[in-house]
Amino acid sequence: MTGNINRRDFLKIAGAGVAATAVLTGCGPASRYVIRQPYAQMPEYTYNGQFTDYATTCRECPAGCGIIVRTMQGRAIKIEGNPDHPVNKGKTCARGQAALQGLYNPDRIKNPVRKERDSDSMEDVSWDEAVNIVASAFSTIPAKEIVFLLGSKDDHLFDLVSEITSALGAPAPIRYGIQQVFDSRSTLMDASRQVFNQSAIPFFDLENADLVISFGANFLETFLSPVSFSRGYSKFRKGKVGKRGYLVQLEARLSQTAANADEWLPITPGTEGSLAMALGALVVEKAGSVLPGLYVGVDAKPIADTAGIQFEKLDHLADLIMQSEHPLFIPGGFSMGHANGLENAQAILALNVLMKNIGLPGGVFLSPVVQEIEKNRQKLNTFPEIYDLVHRMKTGKVNTLFIHGINPHFELPNSLGFKEAIKEVPTVISFSPFPDETAMAADYIFPDHTPLESWGYQSINSGSDQSAVSGSQPVVAPFYKTRGTSDFFLAACLEAGGELVAKIPYKDIVEFLKVKLKDLVSAEGFYSAPEINTFMSLFQQFGGWWSANANLIDPGNPTILTSSLKIPQASTNSDYDFFLLPYPSPILSDGSGANKPWLQETPDPTTTVTWNSWIEINPKTADELGIQDDDIIRVISEFGILEAPVYLYPAIRPNVIAIPFGQGHTAYGRYAKGRGVNPADLLGLGLNGSLDLAFADTRVRLEKTGRKQVLSRMESRMGVYGDSTNE
Amino acid sequence: MDDHAESEVKHKWGMVIDQDICTGCQACVVACAMENNISFVGEEDAGYGRSMQWIRIERFWEGEYPEVRTTDFQPVLCQQCGKAPCEPVCPVFASVHSDSQQINLQVYNRCVGTRYCANNCPYQVREFNWRDYERPTPLENQLNPSVTVRRKGVMEKCNFCLQRIVSGEDKAASEGRSILDGEVKTACMQVCPTNAITFGRLDDPESEVSKLSRNARGFILLEELGTEPAVTYLKGGSTHG
Repeated sequence: MTGNINRRDFLKIAGAGVAATAVLTGCGPASRYVIRQPYAQMPEYTYNGQFTDYATTCRECPAGCGIIVRTMQGRAIKIEGNPDHPVNKGKTCARGQAALQGLYNPDRIKNPVRKERDSDSMEDVSWDEAVNIVASAFSTIPAKEIVFLLGSKDDHLFDLVSEITSALGAPAPIRYGIQQVFDSRSTLMDASRQVFNQSAIPFFDLENADLVISFGANFLETFLSPVSFSRGYSKFRKGKVGKRGYLVQLEARLSQTAANADEWLPITPGTEGSLAMALGALVVEKAGSVLPGLYVGVDAKPIADTAGIQFEKLDHLADLIMQSEHPLFIPGGFSMGHANGLENAQAILALNVLMKNIGLPGGVFLSPVVQEIEKNRQKLNTFPEIYDLVHRMKTGKVNTLFIHGINPHFELPNSLGFKEAIKEVPTVISFSPFPDETAMAADYIFPDHTPLESWGYQSINSGSDQSAVSGSQPVVAPFYKTRGTSDFFLAACLEAGGELVAKIPYKDIVEFLKVKLKDLVSAEGFYSAPEINTFMSLFQQFGGWWSANANLIDPGNPTILTSSLKIPQASTNSDYDFFLLPYPSPILSDGSGANKPWLQETPDPTTTVTWNSWIEINPKTADELGIQDDDIIRVISEFGILEAPVYLYPAIRPNVIAIPFGQGHTAYGRYAKGRGVNPADLLGLGLNGSLDLAFADTRVRLEKTGRKQVLSRMESRMGVYGDSTNE
Repeated sequence: MDDHAESEVKHKWGMVIDQDICTGCQACVVACAMENNISFVGEEDAGYGRSMQWIRIERFWEGEYPEVRTTDFQPVLCQQCGKAPCEPVCPVFASVHSDSQQINLQVYNRCVGTRYCANNCPYQVREFNWRDYERPTPLENQLNPSVTVRRKGVMEKCNFCLQRIVSGEDKAASEGRSILDGEVKTACMQVCPTNAITFGRLDDPESEVSKLSRNARGFILLEELGTEPAVTYLKGGSTHG
C-alpha cells in the first residue's frame, strides 16, 4: 500500500474488501434473505447516519430475551431490549449488552479446520470437505455410535437434530449445560410435577406479591430468567402506592440478590426444606387452625438450631407471613443443589400451597409453553445420562461425537472424566465459533455462525406470562467463512443421500423454520397472518411469536398438604471443614461470557473484582486461620485441588467458602485463557432425587500457600503495587 | 456564550436514580461502554484504578456478621453539575458548560491532558486515557459512529449520551414540535432492567424526571459542596417519600 492514501481512497479499498467478503458469503444462508452492502452501494433501506434495526433473540443464556440490534452500514453497533418481547420487555442484562463482543471477537474460528487434538495447530479444510466428512459419517458409521451433544436451549437446532437422529436411527441428541445445574431445572420440573401434577417450570408472580421469601434463588443474577425477574422485582417494590414488597433471602452467602433483600438469613446449606417445613408449622400454629398432615410432628426449634439461626428469627418470619396478603416462596438453585434438593423444593413449593397462593396474582403459576412447537420435544437430559455418555465414550461405544452449544471440558465436573473419555472417541467434531476447551480437544472445528448471524427460534419456558417462541435472524452478513450448523447438517444429509434425505427434505434452515412454525399461522397470537410467508416476515419483524394475552397455567388445587413429606435432612458429617458454594458469576454466568473483554472488565456486583477469580471466606474464619486478603490459598476437595486469592467476604457463613463460576478457562481466546480458576475442578458427582447434580454438597479444606496475588478490584483499594499499599 | 443557532434550544437535562430498585446488576455499566466506545484497560490497569467506565456502581459493607449487609447499590456517573468544579480549572476550555443542554461537555480535541479537572471533581467520575488502549481487530466494528473515539492523553466522562440528546432534539425540531418526555433515553436508562434510572428535561416541571426529583426520598451527592448536580438519588428502603 502506498504511504499516501487519502480517506476517499481508503473507503474505496475498504469497500472493496467488504464487497469481496460479500461475494464469498454469497452462497451462505443470510444472503438469501438479508443483504448487507458496502459503503459504495448503499441499499435503499439504509440511510447514512441512520440505524437499521433488526429484532432477534439474545443467546447469551437460556432465558431467550428479545433484542433489537441496531446496525449501521452493515455493522452491528448496539443491542437494545425488544420492547414487545414478553420475557424482557425492552431490557437486557450486562451479558446481553456485551453479545457484540462475541460477534466481533478477535479469537473466532474463521473457517472450518482440521486439527491435532490438544494442540493449537490447525489446517484449513473447505466446507465441501467438511460436508463430506459428516455425510460419510452419517452413511458409514453404525448409527448408534453417533452422538450429538447440544446445549440446553429449546431451539431449532435441537428440533432439527432430533429429526436427523431419528432418521438415522441414532440415539436422540443429548442436551445439557451447567446453567441448568445452577438453576436445578430438572428438580424444579419434578417438584412441580409432584406438587402440581404438571411438569413445567413454575412462574413466580413477583410483581404482585407483597412478601417474597427466597430460599437461595439468585433471581436477580442468573436464575431462570433474570431480566424478567428484575422487572417483577421493580414492580414488587414500587408497583402499588404505599405498599412496598418485602424481600427475605435465606442462603449461606449474601448474593447480589440477597444484597437487595430487606433481610438476609445466613443458613446452613441444605437446611432450606426443613426451614420451610418449620415455617409452615409455625404459621399454622399461629393461625390456630388444624395442622395439615404435611406438618405433623414438625418441631421448629431444633430445625432452627440445625440451620444455625435463632428461633426468634424464624418466628419473626412466620409473623411476616401471617401479615402479608400474597406471600411468595421461591426455591432457588442453592436450595436444590443438595442431595435433599427435591425434598427442599417440594417443601418450599408446599408453603405456597399452605398460604393458598396458587394460581392467584402474586402467587405461583406454571409457565405457559407453545404447544405447537413444544409437542414431542424430549425434556432436558439429566446428569446420569451425561454420566452414561461418558461411560459409552470410555468403552469405545461412541465413534463420532458432534458437540454444539456446550463446552463440556469447562462446564462439567472434572471428576466426571469427560476429558479422558473424549480421547477414546475416534472422531470428535466441534461446531463452536470460538476456540473453547472442547473445540481444542476435537479433530475438526466446523464453526457455526455466532447467534447474531444466525437463523433460528427458541421456545420460552420460563419468565414469560405469555406463551412465546422467540425468533432469530441474521442482523449482519456472516463476518467470516463460518456456516450455520443447521444448514451444515442439512447439506450433510443431502450429500449422504438415500433414505436420510427423503426423511430430512428441508432445503435450508429457513424452510425448516417455516415447517416448524406453520402451525402457529392459525394459532391465536398477537398478530395474525393469512399464510406462512407473511407470518415469517412478521415473525422476523417482531422477533418472534407470542400469545395475544397472558395465559399462565393455574395449577389447580394441589393436594400436597395432606400427604406426608419427610423433613429434608441436610447431610452433616464430613472430614472436610467447609461447605463449598460454587455460584454462577452474575457477569460471566456459565463461563461463556469470559471471552468478552467488557464483561471481564465489569466489576462483580458484590466484590467489585474484575478479570479474575477469588475465594470468598468469612473474615473471622480467615483470622483464625491466619489468612489475609489476597493470600493465595489452596482449596482441596475429595475430587480436586485449586489455588486462588482470597477475598475476605463479610457476609458468608463462617463454615462456607464460595467461588464464582465462569473463569478458569484453559482456552477460549485471549481474554479468557489462563485467567482465574474453575470450581468445576472441585465438584463431586452426588445427585439429588431428580438426578440434578448436587453442586452445593461438595466439602473442602483449605491450605495456605504463603503466596499472594493482588486482585484487581474497583472498591477502595487503589493500585496493585503490592503489600505496602494494601490498606 | 456563543450566538450560534443551536444554542437557542435551551433544555436542562437531568436524571433521577432510584436506589430502592437498583439491583446492582451492572447492565448500565456495560450498556454505557457499548454505546460510548469506551475502552477496556485489562487487569493490571484496572487494578491501578484506571478503568474507563463512565458509570460505576458503588456499595459499602455495613455491620458485622451475621448482621451485615451492603448499602444500597449506587450508580455514580458525572453529576452534570450546574456549578461544576471541573470547568474553571481547565486551561484550554476542554471542560465547558453547554448552554443548550445544561450539561458539562468534554471537548476531546481541545483536551491536552492536564488532568486538573479530574483532580477537582469531587465525584471521581472523570476517566483519563493513560494509554491508547488496544481494541484488536475486528472489535472496532462495533464502534458507534456517532461517538468520538478517544486517544491517549485525553480526559473523558459521561455526557448523558449527548449524541442521543442531539438526535432527539434534531428530530423534534425537524418535525416542528418540542421534545416529548421520555423521547430521549440514555443508554443506561434504556437498558436498566428495573427502570431505576429516569432521564428527561428538568426545565419541564411536568416531566417524569422533574416530578421524581422533587420526591421526599431525593438527595444529591455531596450537597454541601454546592455543585448543583443534575442527578438526584432516591434513598432506598422505602418506596414513597
